[in-house]
Amino acid sequence: MSLISSILPSLNRPATATREPARDLGPTLKPAYELNETADGFALTVYLPGVEHSGLELQADADSITVTGRRAWKKPEGWTSLYRESDDVTYELVLSHDNIIDLDKVQAELRDGVLRVALAKTEAVKPRKIAVS
Amino acid sequence: MTLVRYTHPTLRPLASFARSPWTGLESEIDRLFQSSLGDFAGTTGTRRVPVDLYEDKDNTYVRADLPGVNRADIAIELVDGYLNISASRKTKTADREETVSLTRSVSVPDAAVQADKITAAYENGVLTVTLPKREEAKPRKVTVAVK
Repeated sequence: MSLISSILPSLNRPATATREPARDLGPTLKPAYELNETADGFALTVYLPGVEHSGLELQADADSITVTGRRAWKKPEGWTSLYRESDDVTYELVLSHDNIIDLDKVQAELRDGVLRVALAKTEAVKPRKIAVS
Repeated sequence: MTLVRYTHPTLRPLASFARSPWTGLESEIDRLFQSSLGDFAGTTGTRRVPVDLYEDKDNTYVRADLPGVNRADIAIELVDGYLNISASRKTKTADREETVSLTRSVSVPDAAVQADKITAAYENGVLTVTLPKREEAKPRKVTVAVK
């Protein structure tokens, strides 16, 4: 069993069925995102056009990062929609991880519809240099 | 032959108290599909700019999703009946600099738009271009008396 756990670390997570059900957001859209790994952590870039600070929610848990964004813009009175390619639905992005994020050091910035999150790795998973004597 | 009712794997009552090693594997496979195959259906990787068109009495509006672009890097042109929107997104990381070009053209009939009065605004990563209609193109209300 410990061998399986080491191959699939997610086995240490609570079963999906026991998790509390997600809030009802209605239909959601997975936004475009980029995730880059650096030595100290991960740089997450999420493209959320039309989302303001007030409509954005970032939740960092022990095993997942959840980004929820609501578009702030509402169609003004008198405007007729002729053709649509974007959606008004809520953006939702859930990324799971294996408890490797230092939750106290999460930094996020929303600018011009782009959310940049700096996720620091926990000390335990950082590469350590060992001096050979 | 007997029919056995199919229960969804994650709802199997056994899984909640007696942890079977396969519950983790199932979610792992789900995750694999979400991450690698989900991108085919999503917007990731595409460089097309989604646009919305609206109109009211006086103007036609083009709203384009251009997240993370500097105002100075947005160029809007009206050429030969096409409204061309082009922008470049520059991202700098510690070791490299990346520039992504985003372009989109929307067909706009010359006869319907006052080309010299086009304005644009950029807010929260969404560009709104306002194209004022020509007087001739505005809907005219004609009351016809019925004899």
